[in-house]
Amino acid sequence: MLEIKNLHAKVDGREILKGLDLTVPAGEVHAIMGPNGSGKSTLSYVLAGKEDYEVTDGTITWKGESLLDMEPEERAAAGVFLAFQYPMEIPGVATMTFLRSAVNAVRKARGQEEFSTPDFLRTVKEKAQLLKIDMEMLRRPLNVGFSGGEKKRNEILQMSLLEPDLCILDETDSGLDIDALRIVSEGVNALRSPERSMLVITHYQRLLNYIVPDKVHVLSKGRVARSGGPELALELEKSGYADYGQDEASAA
Amino acid sequence: MDLPVQEFRTKAEQELLDLYERSADALPGSAAIAAMRQSAIRTYAGLGLPHRRVEAWKYTDLRGRIDEIPPLLAEADVQVGESELEAALGKAVLALPAYRIVLAAGEFRGDLSDVGALRDEGVELGSLAQMLEQPPAWLAAGLDAAATRDDDVVIALNTALMTAGLALRLPKGVTLQKPIHLIHLDAPGVPGSIYTRNALVAEEGASATVLESFGTLGTRGGEAQGVQRNAVTTVSLGPKAALHHIKLQREALETIHLNVWTANIGAEARYNAFQVSLGAALARNQVYVRFEGEGAATDVSGATLARGTQHCDTTLVVEHNVPACESRELFKLVLNDEARGVFQGKIVVAKDAQKTDGKQMSQALLLSERAEFDSKPELEIYADDVVCGHGATSGQIDEELLFYLRARGLPEAEARALLIQAFVGEVFEALDDETIADALTAVSAEWLGTPGE
Repeated sequence: MLEIKNLHAKVDGREILKGLDLTVPAGEVHAIMGPNGSGKSTLSYVLAGKEDYEVTDGTITWKGESLLDMEPEERAAAGVFLAFQYPMEIPGVATMTFLRSAVNAVRKARGQEEFSTPDFLRTVKEKAQLLKIDMEMLRRPLNVGFSGGEKKRNEILQMSLLEPDLCILDETDSGLDIDALRIVSEGVNALRSPERSMLVITHYQRLLNYIVPDKVHVLSKGRVARSGGPELALELEKSGYADYGQDEASAA
Repeated sequence: MDLPVQEFRTKAEQELLDLYERSADALPGSAAIAAMRQSAIRTYAGLGLPHRRVEAWKYTDLRGRIDEIPPLLAEADVQVGESELEAALGKAVLALPAYRIVLAAGEFRGDLSDVGALRDEGVELGSLAQMLEQPPAWLAAGLDAAATRDDDVVIALNTALMTAGLALRLPKGVTLQKPIHLIHLDAPGVPGSIYTRNALVAEEGASATVLESFGTLGTRGGEAQGVQRNAVTTVSLGPKAALHHIKLQREALETIHLNVWTANIGAEARYNAFQVSLGAALARNQVYVRFEGEGAATDVSGATLARGTQHCDTTLVVEHNVPACESRELFKLVLNDEARGVFQGKIVVAKDAQKTDGKQMSQALLLSERAEFDSKPELEIYADDVVCGHGATSGQIDEELLFYLRARGLPEAEARALLIQAFVGEVFEALDDETIADALTAVSAEWLGTPGE
């Protein structure tokens, strides 16, 4: 279970999160919606442990432990996974090499045995197939020259290989056409399980047709302004975010 | 001896003259060679050791860095077994299938070299010292080519004092299937000056790969070793010849390493030079490429990895003297602590060298705020129909990339090492021979502390 209480966070000296409370029980999928600048991406980075996001108040408890006391790699080992809105391109590192380093680092930290080469290749092949990822793509440098859809599918592949139990998807739908959206969503849905919590961050309701959440929260000015069931997303689709305002500083 | 007057001589500068005086009678070679040595030492006497006010040595103060001159090393019986070689050069490089030629402690070691196997392939080769007694025409041409550049002090001193080395000629059309591995070693725990001269000639259509590796045989009783190495290799490529000339330098951290490669390239020939520098207190790598026939190409690339107070200078000059030749240069430097990296790249395009295509790039990754990278690109273009470009960058590890890797579970140190390896890795793609590329990548990964592939 993820429990966030009274979370305040600053970026570049500006307060973005202003007392956010949120609880995601094990096995549930929660959607975070809200206008630009409401703090959605900031929340995802704070959860993953990005350095330049300064938490000034509040707590984040994950499986009974304080997430804020952990380094990013310790969070990954503890089962936290952030699917980036803009996955990084790293020329000179083959995707396969990266996947293997990541998987083995996490397995080692969790006290599991590292994969042997054949086991690893078989596992990657299996999971890549589900996401319609060509093995040739995995031989290329990480995300370099990948299309938007390929990058997002690669994120979900990493997610399935690292076997997290808190999946944070930061605007995974952005820049995806309808086919890519369907493939990515199917990949995500395949990972739903009673042990796994998910936080699906999105600006649009469209993604939630494919990944149907248990709960929807609307973020506004750095706090949860409203919570409800999946029907809340449909309502927002009609009415827009007008009632929730834009954060004045980021309205531009 | 009647010497040109230099106003002031440092102790080391004087000791170099003394070293020559003391050694001249015993240095190998015919009377003509002796005269060549005499002329070279005069040139040196007029120039002295280069310092910061000499433009080509702006960032490398050789005069300031050398305090004294150790005696010439010449030990014919230094123990060089597989374990010594492995310690000096690393397993990956030693395991490369290759014809081996060993130079140790200033001596050509025929007993450790695959001379016979190379002769069976039609290659003419031998110990330079022996061949200097009666140099064949192709060797004399190589010596003359170096002599025309003796305004370069490193070359002048080398000509004056050269002892051991490899002289090798690939006759017309000879293609070697395995690389030649030319191993340069010092002597264990003994300070000394080593002056090595190699001459490589590939006649029309011949092709080969030559890997020159430089290693240290270890210290004796933990004492600093103080080797001063000066190694010059002259390369001459006939029409349509191809030479892949690769260097790995991982000498002891006390060593002064001065190295020059000069290459004269014939029509439609290809010269690819690649240098990896990890060792030495001070290293100066000079590569001079001169195009002498149309339609030829060169790629001069490499990587420098330096830490502590290491100083590594790479200075390249490519002379496009004829039309329609192509040159590519890419150097990557990883500098930690107070290490200093220097890249000077000069491209000269003569008036008639139309359709020249020359590009140059150097990139440094600074891992510490005290590390320093100095870059000096120079384009001298006298022709009007050319494509030439240069660039230089320096920067730190990208924090966004680092976070991405850490968020995927990689510990910070491992994530950093992976990013450094990725930065350097691009340059190894210039190597055609994958086994050599893998071996050199493994050596650099070892330096970075990452497990190899």
